[in-house]
Amino acid sequence: MAVSDIAASDIVETVPSALIVLDRNLNITSANRAFYQMFRTSADETEGCLIYDLGNRQWDIPALRTLLESVIPHRASVEGFEVEHDFPTIGRRTMLVNARKIFRPGDHDGFILLAIEDVSEERAARKESKRNWQLTQSIVDTIRDPLVVLENDMTIVTASKAFLTMFGITAAETHGRRVSELGQHQWDVPALRHLLEKVLPENKPIEGFEIEDDFPGLGRRVFNLNARKVSQPGNNAHRMLLVFEDITDRKQRERDALSLTNEISHRIKNNLQVIVGLIAYEAKWTAAPCVQGYKVMQARIGAIAQLYDLISQSSRGRTVAVDSYLREIAKALSASLIGNMSGIDIEVKGEPLEIDPDRAVPFGLLVNELATNAIKHAFPHGTGHIMLCVEQVGDQIELVVADDGVGMKDTGSAKVSEKRGSDYVAIFVRQLGGTIVPSKRELTGTTVRIRLPLLLVPPGGAERVAA
Amino acid sequence: MAVILIVEDEVFIRETAEMMIQDSGHHTLSASDVNEALSFLRSSQHIDALFTDIYLKTLFLGGCDLARQAIKLRPKLRVLYTTGNYVNDKMKALFVEGTQCLPKPYTQYQLQGCLAALLAA
Repeated sequence: MAVSDIAASDIVETVPSALIVLDRNLNITSANRAFYQMFRTSADETEGCLIYDLGNRQWDIPALRTLLESVIPHRASVEGFEVEHDFPTIGRRTMLVNARKIFRPGDHDGFILLAIEDVSEERAARKESKRNWQLTQSIVDTIRDPLVVLENDMTIVTASKAFLTMFGITAAETHGRRVSELGQHQWDVPALRHLLEKVLPENKPIEGFEIEDDFPGLGRRVFNLNARKVSQPGNNAHRMLLVFEDITDRKQRERDALSLTNEISHRIKNNLQVIVGLIAYEAKWTAAPCVQGYKVMQARIGAIAQLYDLISQSSRGRTVAVDSYLREIAKALSASLIGNMSGIDIEVKGEPLEIDPDRAVPFGLLVNELATNAIKHAFPHGTGHIMLCVEQVGDQIELVVADDGVGMKDTGSAKVSEKRGSDYVAIFVRQLGGTIVPSKRELTGTTVRIRLPLLLVPPGGAERVAA
Repeated sequence: MAVILIVEDEVFIRETAEMMIQDSGHHTLSASDVNEALSFLRSSQHIDALFTDIYLKTLFLGGCDLARQAIKLRPKLRVLYTTGNYVNDKMKALFVEGTQCLPKPYTQYQLQGCLAALLAA
């Protein structure tokens, strides 16, 4: 069947728009099904009725009167005439009315065809969207940090007052331009451009991208850039919020603090080096049996120095990462394993646990003592494996120092140096409020387990510092 | 037996480093700053390795600059850094490729071990 074969009445009944036909006196001659459904009325209540009287005079709308009585008589058609009205049957609605004069052969008065489309939801969404953007603009202008809103193509839609003031430009100079084109192209950085291009398509925010440069009228400045996607409700268009945080002063304070830390660290480490050097000098001229004692003393100083590195990278209140600390101790001990001990390797297995700096010194010395004991006694042939392990067991931290060496001999008469080493272990465990877990005597190797309270971590949790 | 150029601005530390290196059978040359070290490096003196502190007097990264100049003058020179400062990635990026850093305080055993590995490489 061709389109021309379809009766006009079928089309009228099928279209979703409400249609009514008025005669020259504005009486309704007919309406389609969509009209009756939209306005919850029937053909009996409608046909022959003056449009203004329809449905308890709910169509007696000043705007409609203007259309029908003032506009239509002078024009053949009107499109997109918007009528907003409270209809008793369907509530407040916005209707888009298209009107057209229709003449039949021999009929000079003609009829008026009104096509009515309910655009209430679309208009409400548009209003909501407008309100949202007005709100966005207000927020944009209220935020003290300079910021811009970017379109999909990276051009600026709007810039905050703070942005315009800080960079000494006008809104007109920013609108429609790319960020990379602003000023003296300070923001034209390939890495930034690359990140910005991912914000919208991949919903990948930018956090803390730092740019340091000379800005006209501002001098040397450091900015922290943050960007994220913003969406409008009811609208598929996405935009990007790009915030410029001026961190120049904070950066300078950090640099001053780092410089001071480096200076202090340099002096402390040099003083420790002098002490280690003095011990090395003494060891050179002392009898062989005493050399081991000096060597152990140097290792203890080394353990405290490594801890200092970790603490110096932190600020007050932060904690020390136990796993990183173990690795540093292992690294230093391994570096000492030369000559006939070079076949000993030290492995670290550590969960990411933390201790506060005050308790880290006895903890580090404890690990150093146990590992040194293993190096000294477990491997008479200079080959073997030592494991330093720390993990959380219930509400405790378990430190395990294990070796695959010859195991402990039950001689009952330990040397003075060994006795002193175990005394130190006992002191450090007591200081940390822990206990030594008794272990079975094994055929090969030695395993020392020490349980320490989890309260080694200061209450409230603190920022972790890794090596 | 190798010749090691030690660059350290603290007299006592430099002299104990000399002792530690000499005890392992090597010869030492000593400098207290960059200019003194460059005089040795520009001379015809045979030098196998440079052992330099990074923070030299007022130069925070003086040892790093020295090592770069040293490698330009003597491309086959081995380099071992030492420092009392925390070695961060920024600092590591300034190191000559294939070099090591021995943190302070170092013992005679650690220094001797590092030099042995460096010279054997």
